[in-house]
Parts: sequence; C-alpha cells; structure tokens
Amino acid sequence: MAKQFGVGDDALAGLHDPASHPFPPDQKAALQFADAMTNGPGQVPDPVFGELRRHFNEPQIVEIACVVGLFNYFNRFNNALHVEITLMDPDILVRRIEEAAAGSAIPLSDLCDRVAGILKEGRRYARVEISRRQDETKATGGEIVVPIRASGKVVGVITAESDRKEAFDDEERSLVERVAAVLAPRIA
Amino acid sequence: MGRLNRLRPDQVGADIRSLFETFLKERGNIPNMFRTAAHRPEILNTMLAHFRSVMGPGTVPVALKEMLAVRVSRINSCDY
Repeated sequence: MAKQFGVGDDALAGLHDPASHPFPPDQKAALQFADAMTNGPGQVPDPVFGELRRHFNEPQIVEIACVVGLFNYFNRFNNALHVEITLMDPDILVRRIEEAAAGSAIPLSDLCDRVAGILKEGRRYARVEISRRQDETKATGGEIVVPIRASGKVVGVITAESDRKEAFDDEERSLVERVAAVLAPRIA
Repeated sequence: MGRLNRLRPDQVGADIRSLFETFLKERGNIPNMFRTAAHRPEILNTMLAHFRSVMGPGTVPVALKEMLAVRVSRINSCDY
C-alpha cells in the first residue's frame, strides 16, 4: 500500500533501521517518535518529543500520534486474532487470468509467465511454475501441484509454492484448479 | 488460519456489503481485518471512518503517514 502513496523502495528498505538511513530530519523525527511510542509502554523521552516539536506544529503532532496509535491498535488486533494477510479475491484473480488468456495472440510461454505473475502477486506465492508435465494433484504444507486437464487428459501442471505455513487449504486448491481450467484450452 | 471467521459479503448486512464492494472495486480484495471486524458492524463502520480520517489527506504528507504505518507494523511483526 505504501508504494502507491509515493513511498519509494529505498525509503521502504530504510524503514528496517531508520536510525542508519539518511531520511530528511523531519521524517527522522517522526520515525523516532513512532519507535518510542510503539516500543514498551510507549513512554516518549523528552528529547525525542522535542525533536518532533522542532519540525511539526500541534495539529500535525496529533495526526502523527494518531497514525502511530491506530497502527498499534490494528497490529495488535491482527496479531492477537491471527488475522492473516489479505490476498486478492479469488473471483477477481480468476477474472484477470481469463482476461489475460483471452488474447490468443500471446505466445503460450508469455501467457504462462503472466498467469504466474498474477498468482504470485495476488496470492503472495513464493514460486509458480506452469508446465506441460503430467503430474497428479498433491498438496503438502508449502506446495501444491494441480493438473491441467483437457478432454479428460492431463496436459500440464501448475506447481505453486508458498512460504506461508498452511497456505494451501481447500479454498486455495479450488482457486488453482479454476486457474488450471482457464489455461487448459490454451495448453491442450 | 484466523482465530475468528472472516465474514463474506453474503453474510453481512446491506450497509457493510456496500463497504465491502467498494473495497473489491478499489483494491481487488476486502482486508481480512475488516472481514473479521464485520462481526460488529457498528464498530467496523467507525473503525473505517477513523482509518480514513487519520490516513487520508490532512496536515502531514500521506507518504509520511504510510512510512510510519510500515515502521510501526514492522516493530510489531505485523505484515502491512
């Protein structure tokens, strides 16, 4: 989400350790304040608050403290209730893949790359391979293999790997099977 | 798996369903946190209103607020 609001890759990487990244002084002051407010019981030392004050007025400080407070609230809610990361809606993902597969002019290998890309981004799979291998369905903790069938015959296979634990439940398997059904006529 | 059920659009009232549909249109998903909070529609409504007024355009740049959100989430080991 942050990227679409103009936060660059460099800044995102710097957020792992803001103290050693050359953020502008106002951003650094706000980030130090966020760290102090988030770590432990949220006691912000006077020098950290003083630095924030040098760069921001009172309405701005209220806004910054609300952002930090809101994300502590959301993070704790999600951590405590094991709310998982949000993935792309299966119907929307299948629709995107149908649209990608509709253009018959695309070479098959490009189509497979594109479909793999949509699955990886939308469902956060670590690895997706689409090939003409002929394996049967199997799902282990971190991997699922779904055959692509055309006229009752296996014509290829989608292998997806996840770095999330328990990533491949029934919902996930049915999603990959729908993707296989979309690809079948192109691969056969 | 989440500890609580995430409600689907067909399991919520009309007002929450229209909020969900807006999310689907704008982002291609309904955040799981909001699907979970939908068990208490009044709370979800004000949660979203508060989220928008805090994170939307205000007195500090939206990009800085996103950076703060990422930083806080990293400290809390929460994926944002």
